[in-house]
Amino acid sequence: MLTHASEAPSRPRRVVVLGASGFVGADLIEHLRGHEVPTLPLSSADVDLRQAESVERLVQLVDEGDSLVIVSALTPDKGKDVKTFMANLTMGAHVSAFLSRVRLAQVVYVSSDSVYDDQASLIDETTRCAPQTFHGLMHLARERMVTSALQPLKTPLLIIRPSLLYGARDSHNGYGPNRFLRSAREEARIELFGQGEETRDHVYIKDLSRLIGLGLLHGSQGVLNVATGQSVSFRKVAELVASMADHPVWIECRPRTGPISHRHFDIKTLLSRFPTFRLTPLQEGLADTLRQMKASAEKTMPIAV
Amino acid sequence: MIGFAGLSHLGIVSSIVAASKGHDVVAFDPDVTRCEALRRGQLPVVEPGLQELLASARPRIRFTSDPQALAACAVVICAEDVPTSVDNTSEFGPINRLLDTVEQQAAPGMSVVVLSQVPPGFTRQLARRWADRRLEVFYQAETLIFGQAVERALSPERMIVGCARPQQALPEAYANLLASFSCPILPMRYESAELAKIAINMFLVSSVSTTNILAELCEAIGADWSEIIPALRLDARIGPRAYVTPGLGLSGGNLERDLSTFSRLAQAAGTDARMVEAWLVNSAHRQGWVLTTLAREVLSCQTDPMIAVWGLAYKPHTHSTKNSPALALLETLSGSGIRVQAYDPAIRLTRPDWPRFTQVSTPLEACGEADALAILTSWPEFASVDLTRVARIMRGRLVIDPLGMLDPAGCQETGLRQRRLGVPTLTEDPVLC
Repeated sequence: MLTHASEAPSRPRRVVVLGASGFVGADLIEHLRGHEVPTLPLSSADVDLRQAESVERLVQLVDEGDSLVIVSALTPDKGKDVKTFMANLTMGAHVSAFLSRVRLAQVVYVSSDSVYDDQASLIDETTRCAPQTFHGLMHLARERMVTSALQPLKTPLLIIRPSLLYGARDSHNGYGPNRFLRSAREEARIELFGQGEETRDHVYIKDLSRLIGLGLLHGSQGVLNVATGQSVSFRKVAELVASMADHPVWIECRPRTGPISHRHFDIKTLLSRFPTFRLTPLQEGLADTLRQMKASAEKTMPIAV
Repeated sequence: MIGFAGLSHLGIVSSIVAASKGHDVVAFDPDVTRCEALRRGQLPVVEPGLQELLASARPRIRFTSDPQALAACAVVICAEDVPTSVDNTSEFGPINRLLDTVEQQAAPGMSVVVLSQVPPGFTRQLARRWADRRLEVFYQAETLIFGQAVERALSPERMIVGCARPQQALPEAYANLLASFSCPILPMRYESAELAKIAINMFLVSSVSTTNILAELCEAIGADWSEIIPALRLDARIGPRAYVTPGLGLSGGNLERDLSTFSRLAQAAGTDARMVEAWLVNSAHRQGWVLTTLAREVLSCQTDPMIAVWGLAYKPHTHSTKNSPALALLETLSGSGIRVQAYDPAIRLTRPDWPRFTQVSTPLEACGEADALAILTSWPEFASVDLTRVARIMRGRLVIDPLGMLDPAGCQETGLRQRRLGVPTLTEDPVLC
């Protein structure tokens, strides 16, 4: 159930973003600043959430009436083990300790679709959470921590569970659009598992930032899955990427390591609360990502003397 | 003399039908205004054929707000519809108050029949409560369908009667009433009869849900559900009247109420109710079909779109909007400030909180400058609207016609882009708009 505190948009006083230097955080900051929303970006260099002192530090930095977006997490590329899991929980515990002390206008917790069962083929917000990985378990536990911490002060909480994200600044290099775009550019090849039959719902990072922005403008509360409702196969993604390259790209098939699984989203909650929201078509998002990757590469290219 | 207590939809239809069968009827409701309107022949419900039936049965039926009129009846039938809350649970306050009124008027030996939608266990509790009143207490399952209530009440397939002692003959007056319907009479335990009604509805839901999941798969893999329907209807195990027409999930409230009752009983009894949960999830999923289609093809790519809506009732030939897909859609669209022009032949909505919602008096008027048309109730008149004129006055081409009211060939000829349940769309990626 997702509700808006106000149907008419109302600009937040200031938005504090925890995890502002990461893939999601950086894009969100850029989006909010583009709309002249006052922001306070905080990264681990400003506040190390793994340390107990971070609670006091947050109390100093964040004011009552601020809105807070929590994106900080050690992502699976940093480790999929118990140690990473426990470090993420510690971060969650410290943020929760802070949340129970300061009355905020709104909190947005950016979680993940990994809180749902890997076997669930059609997912909406009512699908039971049954995480199969430490990453999913961590997000579900942190969702509960934050919910519990906010209850006494009745601070509105929006939990966002995005599907697979892609965008130029993504450093995770996970199997999917970003890796395909990089390997197509740098190695003129894309590697698929099996024939790349699995279907997934790929979300353009800018759509996520825009939706978080809308959630802040409307004071939304509840749970929102962020997906396009249109799952495509990895093969299709690879073919789209290959078709955009300015040189031939070889699509290679490697033996798959696990059984074929598919994931689809029913996005009626997103559509019913934001009916005029335009989700970026995959082709358009990939083209945009490629453009940004090229621009970024040109900027960092050494000048020939 | 047969008495009816409670004149909502069920009581009005049942009492008029009983009178039309030649019985003298007293129809009681504590609402004075309602009784006066009924005496003038003004019906507060929409049902095909009911007005004519009332006119013909008028000499044998007396509408009254005086409960004492029930005292002279050999049989009193409590026929108040049990209202349901937003979460589809039943509210028994009104029926219990009505039963208290009946008890006050009941003479020893009177048969009191509960026709209202009560759960298993209700009638036995009532019989126990009235044990020292020397009344004969029965439960009778109602199986009316909104929009076909008269037809079903005049010619029921069977009478399901819950009794304290099923082997014992029914009291003469009640037996005579039932005999006038010339259909099988099935006496059984109270609990069996009460559950039989739920069982019928659950079988319908299982057909509807199976149809809907298959129709959705058709849309995705290039099959056409309308081509499959005849194959199912000709299968003796499924049948010519099976519920195999795809729809927008469950609506109307009755099926949802029975599922809610079943789930509550199953949870208390520790029996497996997971299938029911899956039906409800699928119903909610299918209810989003219109919005999803509309959002992908118009709302997300059109500045200040105008949406035409035909039909507000949850089904044709009724005034009921309970769990109506149209109202759910309007709530979303109007709540988000999207312009809507709606038409329904039976319902007039007043929603001052929807400033950009207009209700108009003809289907064509609703289409003026519309970017898309959504047909949400299968009122027969929609099938005969001139599609050339629709196409001429609409700004956009999209017609969301889940139930297939419009002729597909006519839509194609006039350039309208029809979207139906169970039929694949030709565009590969409708997100691209």
